[in-house]
Amino acid sequence: MDLRLSERHLKFRDELRAWLAANLPRTWHDELRDPRATEDSLMELRRNWQRKLHRAGYLGMDWPAEWGGRGASEVEKSIFEEELASVDAPQILNFLGIGLLGPALIHHGTEEQRRRYIPPMLAADEIWCQGFSEPGAGSDLASLRTSATLDGDHFIVNGQKIWTTFGPWADWIFVLARTDSKDRHGGISFILCKLNTPGVTVRRLRQITNESEFGEVFFEDARVPRENLVGQIGEGWRIAMTVLAYERGAMSLAYAARFGRDIELLAAACNEYGRKDRAVREKLARLLVENEVMRANGIRNLANLADGNKPGPESSLEKLYWSEFDKRFRETALDILGPGGQLLRTAASARSDVDWAREFLWSRAGTIYSGSSEIQRNIIAKRVLNLPQA
Amino acid sequence: MKFELSEDQALLRQSTRDFLANEWPIEKSRKVMEDAPRGYDAAAWVRWAEMGYLGLLAPASAGGQGLGAIELAIVCEEVGRACMPGPYLDVVLAAAALSAAGGHDAALSDLCAGKTLTTIAREDAPYAGERIPLARAEGGRVRGTKCFVPFAAQADALLVVASDALWLTHKPFAVTPMPTIDPAQRFGEVAFDHAAARVAAVSVLDRVDRIAAVGASALLLGIMSRCLETTIAYVQTRQAFKRPIGSFQALQHRLAEMLLRTESSRSAVYRAAWCVDCNEPDAALACAAAKAYAGEASRLVCGESIQMHGGIGFTWELDLHFYFKRAKTLEQHYGSTETQFERALNAAGY
Repeated sequence: MDLRLSERHLKFRDELRAWLAANLPRTWHDELRDPRATEDSLMELRRNWQRKLHRAGYLGMDWPAEWGGRGASEVEKSIFEEELASVDAPQILNFLGIGLLGPALIHHGTEEQRRRYIPPMLAADEIWCQGFSEPGAGSDLASLRTSATLDGDHFIVNGQKIWTTFGPWADWIFVLARTDSKDRHGGISFILCKLNTPGVTVRRLRQITNESEFGEVFFEDARVPRENLVGQIGEGWRIAMTVLAYERGAMSLAYAARFGRDIELLAAACNEYGRKDRAVREKLARLLVENEVMRANGIRNLANLADGNKPGPESSLEKLYWSEFDKRFRETALDILGPGGQLLRTAASARSDVDWAREFLWSRAGTIYSGSSEIQRNIIAKRVLNLPQA
Repeated sequence: MKFELSEDQALLRQSTRDFLANEWPIEKSRKVMEDAPRGYDAAAWVRWAEMGYLGLLAPASAGGQGLGAIELAIVCEEVGRACMPGPYLDVVLAAAALSAAGGHDAALSDLCAGKTLTTIAREDAPYAGERIPLARAEGGRVRGTKCFVPFAAQADALLVVASDALWLTHKPFAVTPMPTIDPAQRFGEVAFDHAAARVAAVSVLDRVDRIAAVGASALLLGIMSRCLETTIAYVQTRQAFKRPIGSFQALQHRLAEMLLRTESSRSAVYRAAWCVDCNEPDAALACAAAKAYAGEASRLVCGESIQMHGGIGFTWELDLHFYFKRAKTLEQHYGSTETQFERALNAAGY
């Protein structure tokens, strides 16, 4: 057992820290609180931040060299996420493109597709959104009904996608569409579609946070060139499942860094307001303990990755832990802070350390997106515990 | 970086598991827990000592093995899985105290050899928050009462915490038994009026407390792993409504939660042990977190195990209740959850 980073990884981390100190002028929270900030200006900020990271060689680190790769692994990626979280850096704008589509193209795309799509994706010149969920297909994704029918050298796409993160800001969407109505999994294909294609409409959806980060995308006889198919017809489900495994990488360390930062600020707020009674201290301690255990999970997973193990269905345990803990944490923060914790950041008396109200609302999303807690528990029951299926 | 155990450590795990399977199978341990007034099998205890388990952490100069917290976690996990009755962790902690104090090689080597059963007398009162006069040390004597002294009636020597120091006393002790719900653990109230040798200042217990947190949380981890395995096996065979009950989502999701808590405890326990062995600055926080988390996790894991077994889970006949009760002892002792919370806050500077 050895839980220390190797010399090589320590060097990577220290260089990254130095780079962040020199290149990140303000925390994401400070950007959010800026009275001049708008949804659009924040998106531009994230675009520029992504470009900076890309120029410094921090995106696509584990991809082949010609796409920005530098022989990095899941370990560097986890360190990267942890360090960015601990300095409260903005999230890059094209995280769905780089996180999901990039790996899909590298593993399943053609050389031509890689050359066409990867450079502008990395440079944040083309922003991607993910067209998986539908109004009638969420947790049961394979029941999706958006159809793609071949007509000569085009697919005719019809249907509706929803909860499309960045839909309103994206240029492109990668779509799971049904090419065979009879084959549940084998009848799904992975297709790239430009959002300004005639017949494609994007509508904003207002979230409970009063933001519109996601939207819905409608397809009405939209004609998409056949060459925009990734992999073969009917391979979409398999491709989607492999790339989702990337999305569920070792994230516990990044969440432990981010939550740890907020817990520290919450503790400082307790001091400020003289809240030293036993009930409050117990709540704070519970958060601290749960976060520390999440960090231990992260260290264990990181060590396993560094030791050459591939991430498996255990990543469902990670997702379940951080997303459920996020909800408990944010509820508790509002408990401790009292009614002031619910103030919008525009309120004069809102705390300036963390936007507690926004974090509280956002915590409801984590247990739904990217495989709900119920789906994660199903995966654990089936693939880790091998329980009999109904 | 590597989470996996080293070859030697994996060997220790296997040999401990084998030894416990031979010497302390649950059928035998049940009889000891039910009938043996001593609370453990003395003959097996001697063989256990001969294997070096009591001196696991003690220096070689005192007949110990000079191993670390990771090895202790490995052994305790197995002891927990086997539901082995007896004062194992208590003796290891006494040895850790003597080792940390230094200069007690003779006492330590008798302890490691299993010749003198020694535990630490620490608790002042049976109920949290209750105020009673503390035991005091004056003029080379310790006077006063200690509660929940582990295996007091069987002990040859006791390390008494009194007047900001640790004192070594020897039998005979006036013991009033304090039977609890957990038959794997024996406690007694001891009225001291004993000649005592000063061993060290109480600050020596800081290290002992961390070892205690690692050991107790590893015992809890072993208990949880065993309960979960037993329950998974049961839900696969037990039929209701013409199907195995493990195929019902109402149970599957709770079993997934049990696995999450058990595996998270595993991460926390071994990380804490590693931090202790490497003198990491995070050690205090990691130990407190491991013990607090594992204690609470055990409520869910052991409790749900009983629930999922239905009526048979509430019978004495099934082994589960021994684990359930053992977990309750471990949760309250070796630094209760409340105590660990306070330590975690202190370690973080809150």
